[in-house]
This record gives sequence, C-alpha cells and structure tokens, in this order.
Amino acid sequence: MSNKSDSFFSKRLYPLLFMLLVTVVCILATSGLYLGTQTKALANELSFTRKAVLDAAQISYQASQAGIEQAFTTSIIEQDGYYETTGTASKRYVVPLEGPGLWGKISLMVGFEDDMTTFSGVAIVSQNETPGLGARIEEAWFTAQFQGKRAPFSMVEEGTADADNEIDAITGATRTSEYFKTLVDQAPSTAKLIVRGQ
Amino acid sequence: MAKSALKKTFLTPLGKENPVFVQILGICSTLAVTNKLQNTLVMTLGVMFTTALSSWTLSLMRNRIPSRIRMMVETMVIATYVIIVDIVLKAFYPDMWKQLGPYVGLIITNCIVMGRVEAFALQNKPLASLVDGLASGLGYTYVLMAIAFVRELLGTGSLWGYRILGTWWTNWSIMVMPPGGFFMLAIFIWVVREIVLKEKKHV
Repeated sequence: MSNKSDSFFSKRLYPLLFMLLVTVVCILATSGLYLGTQTKALANELSFTRKAVLDAAQISYQASQAGIEQAFTTSIIEQDGYYETTGTASKRYVVPLEGPGLWGKISLMVGFEDDMTTFSGVAIVSQNETPGLGARIEEAWFTAQFQGKRAPFSMVEEGTADADNEIDAITGATRTSEYFKTLVDQAPSTAKLIVRGQ
Repeated sequence: MAKSALKKTFLTPLGKENPVFVQILGICSTLAVTNKLQNTLVMTLGVMFTTALSSWTLSLMRNRIPSRIRMMVETMVIATYVIIVDIVLKAFYPDMWKQLGPYVGLIITNCIVMGRVEAFALQNKPLASLVDGLASGLGYTYVLMAIAFVRELLGTGSLWGYRILGTWWTNWSIMVMPPGGFFMLAIFIWVVREIVLKEKKHV
C-alpha cells in the first residue's frame, strides 16, 4: 500500500510539484529584476527617442542622458503626434515616420524647416538592416546629408552627391538605400498631414 | 588531486574538446554575430555567464530533478539566465542592447549551454560544473573573437569600430554578411584541426 502511494507520488506528483516550484522561483527572479530595472529601461528608451528628435531638429546637446534631457526641455515642445522647436530662429517640425526596410521596419524622426518642405535633419530611431552594409544608414555622414535638402531625392553613387536633391546611396546596400529613399520621399506629405491636417 | 581535476576540467574545453571547433556546437551564433568585435564580445560574455551559471544551478539540483522532466527544468533555468542578461543589457547598456537585437534572446538556443548541462553538469559537482561551463564559454569566446577580428577587419576596414585600414582599402562586403561567417568558420576549423590538433585521417 505504502509502496504504491510512494510510486504514485514519485512518478506523478513529485515531477509536477518540482516543475511548479522551479517555474515559480524563475518567474519571481526575472520579474523582480524586470520591475527593479523598469524605470531605468523606460528612461533609456525615452532618452533615445528624444535624442533622435533633437538630431532631426538640428539642436545641439551634450552627449549624456542629462544633456539630452536638458536640451529637450528647453527647445522642444511636444505636440499631438509631432514635435516643434522653440527658441530657434524659425519654427522647425519633427515628425515620426516608419516604413519597411530590407529586413525589418525602419523608424525615423524627420525634421523640417517651417516651410514643411526643406529637411532640417533625419535621425534613425530603430532599424534592422544588414550590419556593416544597410545598417550604415545610422552613420552620421549619411543622415547629415538630408539637412537643407528637398524631396524627392535621387540616390547617386556613394561619394558623388552634389546637387540639391542628390543623396549618396550606400555602396553594397542598394536595396536599403531604395527603401530609405521611398521613406524620406513621402516624409513631407506625411508631415503636412500630421502637423497641418492637410 | 581535486585541484588538478578542476584544472583539467578548465583546460579541455579551451583546447582539444573546444565546443566550437571540435564539438561543432553553437554554430548559429558563430555565423550571426561575428561581423563586429564589440557585438561578439558582449554576446560571448552573455553565453559564458549563462553556461556557467546554468551548469552550476542545475548541478546543485541534479539529485532532485526527476529525470523525465529534466529537459523542461533545464530549459527553464537557462531561459531565466538569458532573460537576466537581456534585462541587464537593456537597463545598463541600451546602445549595445539595441545593436544585438534578437541575438541575446537566442542565447537560449545555443547548443553549448544545454549540451554542457546534459553532458557534464548532471553528473558532476556544482563547482566542477561551474568551471566547465565557464571554460566552455571561454573556449567559445576566443574562437568567435578570432573570427570576428578577421571579418570586421576585411569587411569594414576597421577594428572595434575604429578605422584601421586606409581609404585605399575596398571593403569585402561578403565578410560582414552571413556567407562570410561560413567561410571564416570553415577555414578556422580546417586550419585548427589540420595543423594544431593534427587530426588523423580516416583511411
């Protein structure tokens, strides 16, 4: 009798209880750590978005979380769905934009001068392109090209852009460059829709 | 006696039982993350941490785990450590976390972790298991760093993000793409087995 209940316990019940215990301990450990670091993680994310907004609006800041925070609060006003600058010679508008890339979604912040046509800057929020090739859209020389230019752009061979609408494409990342062009070409109309509702 | 056994446990995964070029484990991540030294280092540190601590934890519980559900328990423990790595990176190294993207979560599928638990930790004492896990992670690390060194240098002309080769250098784009990983890994395994391990040929 006792032998039988022993075997029922050790065969059926014990594994179940053991798994339950391990699961509870593991969940407690990870959720504790998650909750403990949540504020920091959220702050990082927010700071990353704000940095992209500042970059797109061509506002300089000190490269630290506190520096980003300070520049953002003094020169950016957050509106419904977009951002506008304050304290600059003329108002600039920054709108979030996203679209397909080669491997995944590309999210951008695109800044405009107050004519809503001339780009003041472009900053990458997130992208999933090929490291070393398409991912070079994150490099400063690439995003800096858009400043003061107007869409529609034309992508030319890396290192040869000089006209007002020409952008250096990335060698070895033709497809990413094309996706990026599609994305920024539609930026002015999207921005007008968001900011002016037209 | 015990000390020399530990030393042996530590040294074998670095050389003649290396997880990558002898056991051919953890190859997926070898191909995926080795195009930049920085990413590779963080990824391999994550693997080392996970392998060492899951081996240790599971070795502590080894006499209590019902053998029918041992794989579930192993997966649960390994997943916990991987999530810890992910959360810590996200909170304290957000830039690195962004760059590694899905690869951190994929540490859990790294065969080295479960392989060492199954093959070693379940039969050995916690300390020995910890050392084995650590050494396996280290054996993985140096192979991946060697591959990443060549791939980043030839693929982008830079090391650790700094430009090393002049503007005369034309980047070998293939090196930073997945095929470059296949080529480098194959060459690495071939050279090591042929020259260093002097593997006997099957006739």
